[in-house]
Amino acid sequence: MKFTISRENLLTPLQQVVGVIERRQTLPILSNVLLKLSDEALELTGTDLEVQLVTKAVVEGSDSGSVTVPARKFLDICRLLPEKSVVNIDCRQEKFVIQCGSSRFNLSTLPAENYPEFDAGTPEIEVSIPRNCLRRALEKTLFAMAQQDVRYYLNGLLLDLGGQVLRAVSSDGHRLAFFEQSLESGPEEGRQIIVPRKGVLELNRLLGEGEEPVTVQIAPNNLRVDLGTVSFAAKLIEGRFPDYQRVMPRELTRVILVDKAAFKGALTRVSVLSNEKYRGVSMEVSEDGNMCLKAQNPEHEEAEERFAVELEGKDISVGFNASYLLDAINNVDSDNVKLSFTESANSCLIEDCEDTQFKFIVMPMRL
Amino acid sequence: MDAFYAAVEQRDFPELRGKPVVVGGAPNSRGVVATCSYEARVFGIRSAMPAAKAYRLCPEAVFIRPRFDVYRAVSAEIRAIFLDFTDLVEAVSLDEAYLDVTASPILQGSATRIAEEIKRRIREATQLTASAGVSYNKFLAKIASDRHKPDGLCLIPPEQGRAVIAELPIGAFHGIGKATEAKMLALGIRCGRDLERLALATLTRQFGKAGEHYYRIARGIDERPVVPNRPRKSWGAETTFPADLSDRAEMCQHLAKLAEGVLKKLARHGLQARGLTVKVKYDDFELVTRARTLDRPFRDIRDVRPHLAELLNRTEAGRRKVRLLGVSFSVLENAQRPVTLDLFAPD
Repeated sequence: MKFTISRENLLTPLQQVVGVIERRQTLPILSNVLLKLSDEALELTGTDLEVQLVTKAVVEGSDSGSVTVPARKFLDICRLLPEKSVVNIDCRQEKFVIQCGSSRFNLSTLPAENYPEFDAGTPEIEVSIPRNCLRRALEKTLFAMAQQDVRYYLNGLLLDLGGQVLRAVSSDGHRLAFFEQSLESGPEEGRQIIVPRKGVLELNRLLGEGEEPVTVQIAPNNLRVDLGTVSFAAKLIEGRFPDYQRVMPRELTRVILVDKAAFKGALTRVSVLSNEKYRGVSMEVSEDGNMCLKAQNPEHEEAEERFAVELEGKDISVGFNASYLLDAINNVDSDNVKLSFTESANSCLIEDCEDTQFKFIVMPMRL
Repeated sequence: MDAFYAAVEQRDFPELRGKPVVVGGAPNSRGVVATCSYEARVFGIRSAMPAAKAYRLCPEAVFIRPRFDVYRAVSAEIRAIFLDFTDLVEAVSLDEAYLDVTASPILQGSATRIAEEIKRRIREATQLTASAGVSYNKFLAKIASDRHKPDGLCLIPPEQGRAVIAELPIGAFHGIGKATEAKMLALGIRCGRDLERLALATLTRQFGKAGEHYYRIARGIDERPVVPNRPRKSWGAETTFPADLSDRAEMCQHLAKLAEGVLKKLARHGLQARGLTVKVKYDDFELVTRARTLDRPFRDIRDVRPHLAELLNRTEAGRRKVRLLGVSFSVLENAQRPVTLDLFAPD
């Protein structure tokens, strides 16, 4: 395997691929990047067995072949080479030689045949989604994914395709984020998949700006997204996501409209004296439209803040984890935030005042 | 307490008195001896010995399954007696405790007279005998308590501490088990005197962190305080099987059953756990554990099952036969705390 490439052309794809490669590996070959050369094109592959990225770079050289080399070292070398320099790669037997100007590096290799590439599987559904729509779906919901929940199906994001609508839902059981947007085309039959947490974060990082559509392919056990220069694949989480429609609060009898900046400021200040672990803050709204936020910690230090809001309905007294409220509010774009409660105040719906595409639910806390 | 479980059985069933009594597993099972009466010890039967071996040593011994609820009740009785003398009571097991009576005004603060009085009251309340050791630290008190069993009382005053340790065979040091004993003997350390001769650096090189402890106890220095009501750091259960297992699915079922029992115990104590450990003993007695900690407590057995299977998968169980399985829960938290309601809780 022999080719020539500019440092810049190599650096970007390499950086993308290294993103999915875990620093600590059980299998040595997983810290390597797979390089495949044919027809003046170099294909780079990285995986952690859950997520796989394939990127391409144009090279000079008519040779072909494949090999794996330590990804981070390869990246570090490219990064540290002088800008705009030309990199010559020559791989013979087990030696991978990088030559650039007066520098010469000799990397170890492992055979490409041993690289655990994803089983492609036959795509059952293929759908085209505008890039910015998918990006927004992920961006608005990824914060509510569980991290290491015993309910493994919560450690990811639900993508629900059906009736020409894309819905994205995430929840850690204490709060839920929901996004929906109609699509110009979509699968006839509905399909729900759960994309693992790491895959969601990685895909979000890769999506970038732009309106051009990306192709999403769903196979029984995996998801593939063709992003043009990058091809993303992730194993899906098996299992059923809880019925999010069922937990959407209905018959909202009390609605609060509050200035977002004022609410956020007060919440942040008051939470300084909440229990560090549970972050409990109590919220009381009187019928004349006064909101009072209070917090107390185990050292019996106390914080209290009052300000005016608009309230429709009866007075409210409820407790929350301040972090959950703040996470949701930070994702609201309008100047005002709408908080709605059911009669029993056993869940709180948080909405943007202008954009109805997304909404959040935060469960109250028994203080 | 002297031969505690066996003594309780002999107290409650007079026909057992004077006979070799073994409390623990059945002789035809793979269980072990929990406690045996002094009559049984004459035959060489000891605690933790396989019951089958005990049977070979003394076929006429009476084998009895333990009645833990009774032992626990007796344990509570003696604990109440200890607490009349000091609040600083550190129970090590159902029948063994350290008491710090340094500050006790009772009986002019004489530890020996307090020990006598405690022994008298235990006998009066339970008709059982206890052995007491009196000294200036936990290590020596433990040695003293073993010296004049049964119904013994032994005092090791400060001026004799080092002499006693110097003569003590290395295997009799509390905290030095069979493996360490073998290693020490291989290094030519036979008794406390040999241990005292070694430099701190040598001991830490050979035994790591424990080396420092050995260095100090060889000099009669043990500053571990008596910690009252030590909160438990973990709760667990384990079982030895009548026949070795090789089917993983079956192992998972056993683990789940053990875990379920422990979860119930945790719930009774108002605790929740985030840590889970699976313990596997292969047929050649090699013991391995696999553990993980979650960021949220296990709520019930359904939360635990998939993790049991995964942890078991990280062992060689199945490929190797398994004689014992155990489960323990750690990283305990009080269940009473502010709780955010669960979105997906069933109505």
